[in-house]
Amino acid sequence: MPSETRSFAIQGRSDVVVAGSQGRRFAVRHGFDVRRATELAIVVSELASNIVKHGVRGEIRLLWNSETGEIAVEAHDVGPPIHDMQLAMTDGYDDRGPIDPALILRRGGLGTGLGAVARLADRLEYREEEGGGKVLTAWFVAR
Amino acid sequence: MSESEEPHVVVTSERLQSVIEALSYASVDEFDSCLALLERSGELRDEFSELETAFSIFVRELGEAKSELNRTLAQQEAINRELEAKLETIEVQQAAIRELSTPIIEVWAGVLCLPVVGIVDSQRSAEMTETLLETIVSKQARMAIVDITGIDVMDTKTADHFIKMARAVRLLGAECIISGINPGIAQTLTHIGVDLTGIRTLRSLRDALQLYLRETEQLVVHQHSQLARKLTTES
Repeated sequence: MPSETRSFAIQGRSDVVVAGSQGRRFAVRHGFDVRRATELAIVVSELASNIVKHGVRGEIRLLWNSETGEIAVEAHDVGPPIHDMQLAMTDGYDDRGPIDPALILRRGGLGTGLGAVARLADRLEYREEEGGGKVLTAWFVAR
Repeated sequence: MSESEEPHVVVTSERLQSVIEALSYASVDEFDSCLALLERSGELRDEFSELETAFSIFVRELGEAKSELNRTLAQQEAINRELEAKLETIEVQQAAIRELSTPIIEVWAGVLCLPVVGIVDSQRSAEMTETLLETIVSKQARMAIVDITGIDVMDTKTADHFIKMARAVRLLGAECIISGINPGIAQTLTHIGVDLTGIRTLRSLRDALQLYLRETEQLVVHQHSQLARKLTTES
């Protein structure tokens, strides 16, 4: 059972900044060192950025589980499902294949966001919800 | 019982007129004038005055209810105004947050400084590159100092992108110095095998500025000596 939950509605770029910095505080408060807490914040920021970039409604939830000593970062959104998760996590790729470099610049991203999430988190889970929407969860273990 | 046998109330047309006038005041919310009229004509005690009294009680209550409603409306309006002001503040702050995420300062003529603080994700580093390159062109800067003292951690790909940003600056004919790299990021960069040739890094923003000043000084001294030489050969 999570012993503390916080959620942040993500609608614009400033929400990304707020969720990131609140994520870091949350992790530090639950005993993560600054370095690891910052890595968690980067993941929060990448996931929130994705929600904004794809122009959908979404939310970031932070769940601290005191029994396992883990924080789960959940990214909920109502956008279309991720077609191929393995591909989407590859740098320079989205869920359907390589991203055109010209498009990368226009979209204002590097196409490495999910890659960063995979590199920084301890484990990842992706699920689609009944009635639309998807949830990506990244776990961080307190060490 | 025929109609003519019903009890009649006799009233002067003046009093009737006065009641009508009073009610017309009430209809435009002038309850005080209305009550004054009703009470004046109600001085006579007869059956018609009961109607006048009933009217005046009704009008008094209506007046009170109306003023109560106006008070509530005024309060609501004040709350709405406050809410609007707050929403405006939020919008302004959101714009400020967006701006603060890539602040570019011209610390010296032709020298730009991009102090990076907070959390750097891939999106933000892409935005920084874009803004920095645009500003170098628009301000005709010769040097850009990217100070990352405030950054403890970066994803490997984002760190890689920072180095690419430095290269892009050089392509524009300006120099890029990265200052304040901490041990963690230094390890990240070497670990992923980023090609660091031609990338100038310095310990702090101060060192970077000093380097710039030293180089400009040398340039000025060089130009002076050239000018002096030219003058001696001419004379």
